[in-house]
Amino acid sequence: MQTAKSQTFKDKANKVMGISKEDALLTKSYIFVAFAALLLGGILGLIQGLNRAGLLELPSWLNYYQVLTAHGLILVVVLTAFFTIGYFYASLSHTLGGLLPKVRTMAWIGFGLKIVGFVLAVIPIIMGDASVMYTFYPPMAAAPMFYIGLALIVVGVWMCAFGAFIQVANWRRNNKGQHVPILAYFATGVFILLFFGSVPVAIEVIVMIIPWSFGWVETINVMVARTLFWAFGHTLVNIWYLTAVSAWYVVVPKIIGGKRWSDTLTRVVIIGLVVMNITGGFHHQIIDPGIAEAVKFMHVFMSLAIGFPSLMTAWAMFAVFEKTARKQGEKGLIGWYKKMPWGDVRFLAPMIAMIAFIPAGAGGIAQSTNQLDQVVHNTMWIVGHFHLTLGMSVVMTFFGISYWLVPYISNRVLTPQINKLGVIQTWIWTIGMIFMSGAMHWVGLLGSPRRTSFTTYGDNATALSWSPYLMCLAVGGTLLIIGVLLQVYAVVNMMFFAPKGETEFPIAEEEENASKTPYWTERWGLWIVVMLLVVAMAYVIPLTEFIVNAPPGSPPYKTW
Amino acid sequence: MKQFLYGLFILVFLALPPVANLMESVMIIHMHMQMPLLIITGFLFARLFQLRFPRFFEKWNRNGIPGIILFGVIVTYWTMPRSMDEALTTQGMEVFKFISLPILAGVPLRDSWKKLKPIVKNIVFYFFIFVFFGMGWLYIDSPVQLCNNYLIIEQITLGWGFITTAICMVIYLIYVAFVDPTKYE
Ligand code: HEM
Ligand SMILES: [Cu+2]
Repeated sequence: MQTAKSQTFKDKANKVMGISKEDALLTKSYIFVAFAALLLGGILGLIQGLNRAGLLELPSWLNYYQVLTAHGLILVVVLTAFFTIGYFYASLSHTLGGLLPKVRTMAWIGFGLKIVGFVLAVIPIIMGDASVMYTFYPPMAAAPMFYIGLALIVVGVWMCAFGAFIQVANWRRNNKGQHVPILAYFATGVFILLFFGSVPVAIEVIVMIIPWSFGWVETINVMVARTLFWAFGHTLVNIWYLTAVSAWYVVVPKIIGGKRWSDTLTRVVIIGLVVMNITGGFHHQIIDPGIAEAVKFMHVFMSLAIGFPSLMTAWAMFAVFEKTARKQGEKGLIGWYKKMPWGDVRFLAPMIAMIAFIPAGAGGIAQSTNQLDQVVHNTMWIVGHFHLTLGMSVVMTFFGISYWLVPYISNRVLTPQINKLGVIQTWIWTIGMIFMSGAMHWVGLLGSPRRTSFTTYGDNATALSWSPYLMCLAVGGTLLIIGVLLQVYAVVNMMFFAPKGETEFPIAEEEENASKTPYWTERWGLWIVVMLLVVAMAYVIPLTEFIVNAPPGSPPYKTW
Repeated sequence: MKQFLYGLFILVFLALPPVANLMESVMIIHMHMQMPLLIITGFLFARLFQLRFPRFFEKWNRNGIPGIILFGVIVTYWTMPRSMDEALTTQGMEVFKFISLPILAGVPLRDSWKKLKPIVKNIVFYFFIFVFFGMGWLYIDSPVQLCNNYLIIEQITLGWGFITTAICMVIYLIYVAFVDPTKYE
């Protein structure tokens, strides 16, 4: 265990030295790309929203599915990956005493690979040769360059993952027997998931799709491809979640002047999410053929098992709020909200993000159920769901982080004006998302399909009845783009123009009377083997079925 | 006592006819989920037995070897197609499965594992890696149905389940061999 003394010494040392120039530049570059992606993706989102409401007819050279592919890819892959990596590399640098030069180089190589990969993927999208959407389900086939780009992005992510492993292993060798600081621990879990979660999609793209899109092999096994995709896709979702949770657990308590919740249970939640995660991919295939009902039924348990640590998170956060408020003299069970710093954007944004996770998580649990999913599958409900989870819970937490992380890496301060702007931005985003996501949920229940450009189906009465909701969607989307502009302005301002000064990296301390965290939480090798066992168990049934009883396979199709 | 109750709860849950039927309807879940869970219930029972009958374990399982051999025998027995088939057709065998795996495999495993020397632990792993690869090969390669109750495709699935589990064990052994914990802990 780290003693309290060495902790405060390290805190002081960090405060004096801040982050090194090189490490700061690395994170700055990642964060800059992330918010550039937000701007670009947001504009594309607005175009879609206006189109679906029937307010905007796209010109003949711009196809709805082209826009949708870019919107999905830019926000799902670029924004989240760059933000997550930038944030966790800053955390590693801050809590483990600076990045090793070797590790920094790896992160830069990863940066380059991802950018090159992204450019390669975007070119065919712009040319109209890759309107396959971010899920790129075969048998829809894009130009090979699109997939090569994706493969490079994955390799770039691996560079960053291994860099993080080297950094953590090095720290542990120099600090024998100590627990890895909590944010670095979160980073370890996230990078383990990033690596193992992207192995299946790498196999899908490199082994199956690239040879097929070049025409070297004639057909592809569609079900195997989808299964490998969702093993990755679902894991990515929980990587975002884990990233957001790291800020909820570690940063938010510090900002409200409280202490961190149980260190042991935090680490157990992380291990649980890592071990059980990848198999959750099957809940994206509830409606897919070829998987026996008994197997689907058991996977409901797997999905709900991931829900359990998520619920623990909620409970933990409310415990922290209540304790902190009580220390500040507040009595009563729910009086805590009066003591919270609602005017501080670093608190407000993640707080609303957490609140949004309550309906978002409830929707997710509903969707895990076969019968309920039959109703909403491939409708706008799903789009509403992930704009609530990802677009609100996760992305708003990222926004909240940006208000201290960007000044921290830029050696600048968060001014009261930018804080105010941030508070306004938060409320605009909240209202916009309530409108947009709410409308999406509702119109989905009425049957409006996702991934479909504007149509009234020949003035069919049902389709016409969707109009008011789609109009609401467009209103929400318009508010959101205002939010995007404010947010990007704030980030640019804090990165380049705000007054110089010291900004703290907020990490809450453990409670005084905390029990000692058992050392088995550090044995990641063991947990990885357990994770692999769970993955093997879950995937062997459907994959054997898909491969042994495979249909003839499909040639590539260009459906657009 | 708490552990014992948890174990009992899991055991009763697994024995509920709808649960048992569902798990036994898929061959690999029968063998690679229900059976390991039964062993885990035994694991949870073991503590109480150790406290109640310390002399018994002291006398019969001083160095852990007899216990781990018993565990090996029982588990290997239950990896055979014939025994699984019989559990489905004969009530008596089903009852034997629900008793033997917790009491004769789970309990001795927990009592033995901590007592074993590292080298013996490795031998246990080698043994199971060998058995699992062998069983995997048998189930995948057999041209005929080995169980009356399960189709060939389920058999192949189970075979791959054995192979992947064996691979996980190999990975674990490699990890243990190459990562020196004293450097970190
Ligand atoms: C200005 C803000 C945004 C607006 C107006 C917007 C709007 C939309 C619309 C209208 C759709 C298409 C629905 C369909 O036809 O299926 C969509 C899809 C999507 N959006 Fe957004 N969105 C915004 C922000 C975001 C953010 C911040 C994220 C994630 C970080 C995100 C992720 C996605 C994804 C993954 C899809 C699905 C793409 C697909 O189905 O292939 N969006 N968005
Ligand atoms: Cu999922």
